[in-house]
Amino acid sequence: MINEEYRGAQQWSRNKQAAFTVIWISFLSAAIATMVFFAIFDPIELGAIFDAELEITHDAGYAAGFFFFWVLCAICSSVTAFLVRTAPKRDAKHRQQ
Amino acid sequence: MYESAKKIYPREIGGRFDKLSKLATIALLGLFYFLPWLLWDERQAILFDLPARKFYLLGLTLWPQDFPYLALLLIIAALSLFFFTALAGRLWCGFACPQTVWTEAFIWMEQLTEGTRSQRMKLDKAPWSLAKFRKKASKQFLWITFSMWTGFTFIGYFTPVRELGADILALNIGGWTLFWGLFYGFATYGNAGYMREQVCKYMCPYARFQSAMFDKDTLIISYDEKRGEPRGGRKRSVDHKAAGLGDCIDCQLCVQVCPTGIDIREGLQYECIACAACIDACDSIMDKMNYPRGLVRYTTEHSLQSKTTHVVRPRMLVYATLLLILVGGLVTAMASRTPVILDVIRDRNSLYRELPDDLVENIYTLKIINQSNDARSFTLSVSGLEGLLLDGIDGEVHVDGGGVLSLPVRIRARRDDASGVNEILFGIEATDDASVVMEEDSRFIGPTP
Repeated sequence: MINEEYRGAQQWSRNKQAAFTVIWISFLSAAIATMVFFAIFDPIELGAIFDAELEITHDAGYAAGFFFFWVLCAICSSVTAFLVRTAPKRDAKHRQQ
Repeated sequence: MYESAKKIYPREIGGRFDKLSKLATIALLGLFYFLPWLLWDERQAILFDLPARKFYLLGLTLWPQDFPYLALLLIIAALSLFFFTALAGRLWCGFACPQTVWTEAFIWMEQLTEGTRSQRMKLDKAPWSLAKFRKKASKQFLWITFSMWTGFTFIGYFTPVRELGADILALNIGGWTLFWGLFYGFATYGNAGYMREQVCKYMCPYARFQSAMFDKDTLIISYDEKRGEPRGGRKRSVDHKAAGLGDCIDCQLCVQVCPTGIDIREGLQYECIACAACIDACDSIMDKMNYPRGLVRYTTEHSLQSKTTHVVRPRMLVYATLLLILVGGLVTAMASRTPVILDVIRDRNSLYRELPDDLVENIYTLKIINQSNDARSFTLSVSGLEGLLLDGIDGEVHVDGGGVLSLPVRIRARRDDASGVNEILFGIEATDDASVVMEEDSRFIGPTP
């Protein structure tokens, strides 16, 4: 039976699900954040504020900004996922009381 | 505890919706690969020039200051998605989503090199041989070439594509360009070649919340249970109604063609991307059995319950009204957009300077951005205080097309007229077009008596 071939299959483990969801959603959020941020700030002007000696190109500035946002969003996203998954279950708590 | 993902081998099926989906794939991918090469006034028609911080969209040049338009456009896109979802279900998923479209293309290349569904399943089970290696290698060659081309095209939206093409041929390509090209190419390869329906199932937010837009009048793909059950095999010659059977012959074709590996007969499932392959599959069987088509079909829950389906309903009206307001707003805003921007920055180093003859002076930097593509001259004015004097400019200022001019100006006023903090207004007006005006307020500070 074809059905049997699929049943219970094609499931990612919870860790894999969490990892890929975090990567993808933080990627999307970082893309939006990068757009908004660099629509307001020019990376070259920003670089000059931090360090007058610093010479960066636009490309490098945008890339650095994007990866910064990606990492930040990924941390935020994975901590949230972790807390949600490891939270004590309500039922278990009721039973203890 | 958890089984690893089993590979899905979607079976190829011809039919009405297969034709439609192929058409959508060709049209959308065609647009994607062709658009960067399109010219407009001898420059690339669509170019997001990040280093210059300008977006070229056909005849339009957008600046970072125009970001609100982009935000509005994204909101309109999201709302349209809601509107069409409420109306016709997951049309987006089945026909227009890049994930679906590229997966289609990759599966097509897979069929080209590895053959039909059963041939592919056999090939994967078979031990490694020269023939298997040859097939797998040609598939990888096609996939990788296509992915690299995709990455290159993606970069072409951000870097002038003609120069980029020449650079690549000369193997003279910048570090970041190469990185983003490979990045996008690899993402395409992974998503369309391997992850496929898993992206929709596990990673797509829209797939999870689209059901919130659904109601009983939304177009869905559904199996007609009343007509199909009890399912079961039978000979073509048998009068199945007399034998107590429904129209479903339980051939499993609808399951085999499903790219997400579900059984549509189990009801509406969030994994279903509404690609309509099962409709084509079932219709082909119904034709063979000489039963009427449409055992699996586009329908609504109301229609399945033999009730009337309403296209116009409060939800649709709300979405449509919001859409109209936003689109109207965007069009009005774009039409009334002034092609010049004036920024006024007060000198931070000193509040004011006292001059002989009872005069006070403030210093400002004016930033004039000429958003039109032609050079323009502007006249400057300042108002808000009695006897304001503009110093440092002789008559008109000239700004190149698409250029930014930073202009230091000194403003003077009589000490008696300008005590404390005073609101003043700077204005510019194009000399060739009196409707191109822009005003910006600032402050003039004088000594407090």
